[in-house]
Amino acid sequence: MTNIAATRRGVPYAIAAASILAVVVLPFVSSSYVIDVATTIITFAVLGLGLNIVVGYAGLLDLGYAAFFAIGAYTTALLETLGHQPFWVTLPFSILFAAISGIIIGYPTLRLRSDYLAIVTLGFGEITRIVATNLGITGGPNGIYGIASPTFFGHALASPRAVYELGLGFLAVVLVFTSRLTRTRLGRAWISIREDETAAEAIGIPTLKVKMLAYVMGAVVGGFGGSFFAARFGAIDPTSFTYLQSVTILIIVVLGGMGSTPGVMLGAAIVAGLPEALRFLQLWREFVFAIGLVVLMLVRPQGMWPAPLRRRVTLPPLAAEDESLVPIAVEPGTSDVLLEVDGLSRNFGGVRAVNGVRFGIRRGEILSIIGPNGAGKTTVFNCLTGVIRPTSGRISWLGSSIVGLAPHRVVGLGLSRTFQGVRLFANMTVYENVLVGMEPRYRTSIPAAVLGLHAASEEDRRHLLSCRRLLRFVGLEERAGERAGDLPYGDQRRLEIARALASEPRLLLLDEPAAGMNPTEKRDLMGLIRRIRDGGITVVLIEHDMMLVMGVSDRIIVMDHGEVIAEGTPAEVQRNDRVIDAYLGDDEQETDGELRQEELSAWDS
Amino acid sequence: MSTFFQLVIEGLTIGSFYSLVALGYTMVYGIIRLINFAHGDLFMVGAFIGWTVLTTLAATHVPWGLGLLAALVIAMLLTAVLGVAIEKVAYEPLLRSSRLSILITALGVSLALENGVLLIYGPGFNTYPHLLTQAGFSIGGVEINDAQIGMMLLSFLLMLGLYIFVHHTFVGTAMRALAVDQDAARLMGIDVENVIRLTFLLGALLAAAAGVMEGVYYTQINFFMGFLLGLRAFTAAVLGGIGNIPGAMAGGLLIGLLEAFGAGYISSRWTDVFVFAVLIIVLAVKPTGLFGERVVERM
Amino acid sequence: MRHSRFTIRAGIIALTALLFGPFMAAPGSAAGDAIKIGVPVPLSGSYANAGIDILNGAKLAAERINASGGINGQKIEIVPEDDACDAQTAVQAAQKLIDEGVVAAAGGYCSSASLPELTTFHRANIPFALDASTNPQLTEMGYDNVVRTIGRDDEQGPFAANFIANALHAKTAAVIHDNTTYAKGLADNTVSALKTSGVRVVYDNAVTPGQADYTPTLTRVAGLNPDVIYYTGYFSEAGVLVKEARQLHMKGTFMGGDATNDPTLIKTAGSAANGMIITTSPLAQFISGAHGFVQQYEKAYGHAPGPYSVYEYDAVGVMAQAIRNAKSTKSDKIIAALHQIKNYHGLTGEIGFNAKGDRTKPAYITIIVKNEQFVPYQQLNAAGKWVVAK
Repeated sequence: MTNIAATRRGVPYAIAAASILAVVVLPFVSSSYVIDVATTIITFAVLGLGLNIVVGYAGLLDLGYAAFFAIGAYTTALLETLGHQPFWVTLPFSILFAAISGIIIGYPTLRLRSDYLAIVTLGFGEITRIVATNLGITGGPNGIYGIASPTFFGHALASPRAVYELGLGFLAVVLVFTSRLTRTRLGRAWISIREDETAAEAIGIPTLKVKMLAYVMGAVVGGFGGSFFAARFGAIDPTSFTYLQSVTILIIVVLGGMGSTPGVMLGAAIVAGLPEALRFLQLWREFVFAIGLVVLMLVRPQGMWPAPLRRRVTLPPLAAEDESLVPIAVEPGTSDVLLEVDGLSRNFGGVRAVNGVRFGIRRGEILSIIGPNGAGKTTVFNCLTGVIRPTSGRISWLGSSIVGLAPHRVVGLGLSRTFQGVRLFANMTVYENVLVGMEPRYRTSIPAAVLGLHAASEEDRRHLLSCRRLLRFVGLEERAGERAGDLPYGDQRRLEIARALASEPRLLLLDEPAAGMNPTEKRDLMGLIRRIRDGGITVVLIEHDMMLVMGVSDRIIVMDHGEVIAEGTPAEVQRNDRVIDAYLGDDEQETDGELRQEELSAWDS
Repeated sequence: MSTFFQLVIEGLTIGSFYSLVALGYTMVYGIIRLINFAHGDLFMVGAFIGWTVLTTLAATHVPWGLGLLAALVIAMLLTAVLGVAIEKVAYEPLLRSSRLSILITALGVSLALENGVLLIYGPGFNTYPHLLTQAGFSIGGVEINDAQIGMMLLSFLLMLGLYIFVHHTFVGTAMRALAVDQDAARLMGIDVENVIRLTFLLGALLAAAAGVMEGVYYTQINFFMGFLLGLRAFTAAVLGGIGNIPGAMAGGLLIGLLEAFGAGYISSRWTDVFVFAVLIIVLAVKPTGLFGERVVERM
Repeated sequence: MRHSRFTIRAGIIALTALLFGPFMAAPGSAAGDAIKIGVPVPLSGSYANAGIDILNGAKLAAERINASGGINGQKIEIVPEDDACDAQTAVQAAQKLIDEGVVAAAGGYCSSASLPELTTFHRANIPFALDASTNPQLTEMGYDNVVRTIGRDDEQGPFAANFIANALHAKTAAVIHDNTTYAKGLADNTVSALKTSGVRVVYDNAVTPGQADYTPTLTRVAGLNPDVIYYTGYFSEAGVLVKEARQLHMKGTFMGGDATNDPTLIKTAGSAANGMIITTSPLAQFISGAHGFVQQYEKAYGHAPGPYSVYEYDAVGVMAQAIRNAKSTKSDKIIAALHQIKNYHGLTGEIGFNAKGDRTKPAYITIIVKNEQFVPYQQLNAAGKWVVAK
């Protein structure tokens, strides 16, 4: 058993135990007022944990979270007062309606960039509040009165202490739910899109779906919290669900520490508790609170209790001699050609970056695409992997077209890639980067993972095993628990390859893998590429380093000005006149720069 | 028909205030990708400084035109100093941190400004002296106020000035270069920190001008006045395409018009729903706003 | 490194504990001599001015009571707590007052905060006299611990409608509110009373409070040409509205509900406010018996009392009377005594309560702005006729 970086395990547990003790003992030693403040803190902690999924994990700025809170509260209030349903019966409906509204807001808008998304959520929050204020059924600005206290085995939960304990129950449920949820592959997928959405999509994460799930899960927790709010006060009105309320919850998450459960709870304690502690300041208290907020953020920009890296992992043991990739089962009898490209063109504005390119990729070969800067090589990669759509042309994978598929679907079919500049998920550990890359291979459902069903944990174990094997394969086994962004450059490159291999591709596309490497590293890279091919994976690389290209390639395609100008074995290509021209002739630098700019922006669309 | 033109005039009046404030949001966003939530409050601070100057001068025998000019200039200068100071103290140390931590700092600054003014001037309302003429004229049943024309003209001139500054001066070019690529701009020898400060300064100047104009035109000011207006101006900046200067101007006027038509033709209590619905539809069709370009996102 | 990070965390926890220390301390005061009366009002944020005016009224009442020997030999003490006009803060404010040992409460401003306060006091069986919250719902909850010294929105609404129909002889009216609990309630009650009085309501809608420009809404209203425009929201928006209505040369009479009764309105609108009529509970300034109070208030606090200061003064007074009559600080006895009160001589007139706790004879008058000053206008006489108010 390799126990990676199990540092200071005891300390968080000690703090947790002390906090739990304090929280349980509180109602017996303090006044109703303190209990009421604690209940408010609990309410905000629940909401903070919900928003933490959206903001802290998935990195989506949400300025209208109070809407879900409102929907939950109004659902409970209306079902109790008009539908005469007991509190507990209203709960599933709150959750359901909040989830539906999460889908309604999420579906049309999640394609937006983060800051545009922020204003849409703000608008959604305001619309929800105004609708509640204007409609008759929601009681207009009066809101809804006379919501009965929930009962628990015949006991009305109305006293401050009972409500506090009910709140603790709610908090416990939310804690278990969110911590289980974020520990599954969904949690990893959220962090990966927060770190680098484009890279996540390109290695096989269905980013739209994952973002949508973040919204829905956040909404579910918000609705749940709303029900508690309605039960606590027995009366609700629209002024509790303003934009300022959304902002307060956001402050809790960021001040506490994005993605950090104890941080969010600490944030809730500060944001809901500090103004109470400052009551004696009267008119000054909000000012002092505001200054305190600014100072705290300046002193601790990562939050009061930032989320730790998930270093603690026990990778399953691996036989000492197991150094191979798991060979890919090659379907017998299928054609020798994996991928065929015909007439592929792509325009950027008026510039034709790729023009009628045609080539095939054969099973089991190492193919290099070379050419001067701006020749259109990366554009070809981007077309193959679905990152950009070709203007015209055909791309067929094992006989069927893959034009127009989303990048993550292309990965699912067996095409995997790395990037020109390293695009790792820097704030995740090495092994997590690889695990994220395994997303397309998961077969068990997320609910199964949340519930910890045997099939799901069995699958997790298998993937951890395969993760370890991959890390050993690229020589990073010892660094599994480190932060990916802290690795030296060459290791980052190798990790990117391991991450791309994690989806068990049949074709691996490497975009300038040797860029920035020293000669020793390049030699190692050559060996690695050969071993990948020997494991049964076809490799295509874009590379400028001729030593590497000539040393490793079975076949070379040369591109210039968006066209294929030569194709053949290394020896053939080296003798080709057009190739020599292209490399020695006058290089048009201007169009070059323009192209790169265009391509950059295409990446960010 | 006269109602339509009346609403257009009213919408443009409201919108010109939004535009002036939206510019500050959009410039700061363009440069450091920060939604500066404190910006609406600079508008409010400007209004209060202008009020102090005006009421102080009212006790002397300065002609009111001169007093107004003094109020405008002093408010703009002091608010600009405040804007830069806020940038220096509260934002600059966080420029390399997560974007959300600087966002929360901006929220804290906003709250601090509101409550700071509350502590100095009290939680009630202050009123500007009634300086503007109520005179106006009427074309085909459309009531137009002389002051209305003056306000729109002044805000148009300010925006024109900004546009010329950004597009036809060296510093303005540096600002635009910074918005495209900060690192490249730094390599080109641009003093990035100074240009960022300049951006805050320009935004604060315009916000303060809008604040004094608001006080003079509508007479009533309050520590909370920047909140709602800031929210609307931010919406306007996004509608126009955040980071885009002409976009912010157009977005502000458009939000003003939408608000006027919403209240005039639909129902005043549904106006905000109408405005946000239009915004959401626009973004669903054109994800980067009306005039927005693709901007490389840095999280 | 790691060690120091841990130290920082421990430091944060310690700091938090330190901050929370003061209010974690055991509650319950050393039972002194004074009888504590809690005053939950907004003391921070937008409504702080109103809250401070109310609190000042309570303090003056306590001073007078204590100067004349207190209640049954005991002094009374006013304990203020900030509710920020926010439901969650309000519950905590009320709970804090209970913990501080108040035997009764008198205050409240925003109805949306008063309601959770009332519920909290009800659970602790503490009597609560409302001075400014006019929402009918407050006394419709079936709680016995609540009374109010001010009228309800559903009483002011018919009063306003009566005035519009029978004093102004209007045929059409526009009613505008701001979608707050109070303003919507008053607007709804006015609209239904107007309909039964035969006045056609041509416009009934809300504006967003806090804006500077309402001309689009007014343009819409101007097109309907109503005889009367009645705004039931707050004074700040009312000032803007009346000013902008004049700019658009609107002809109808502009009226406001009792929350528009504030000098800021006139400062905002200037001469445009002249001719505006407001329905209100009488201001202390217009009550002949309250001149002493106004002088005393101005002397103590340097400015004129707010519209609700005198109602809070009476709320504290009536609560003191109930405690005196009950000869006890036991809440059951105070509540019972409170409901026994029939004709307490308050500054705002005779005070008594019906079974729900509402004031039996709430007084309303209309005031008008003349030469940029509020002056009394008309009121109903005993025969139900409109007469000039004194």
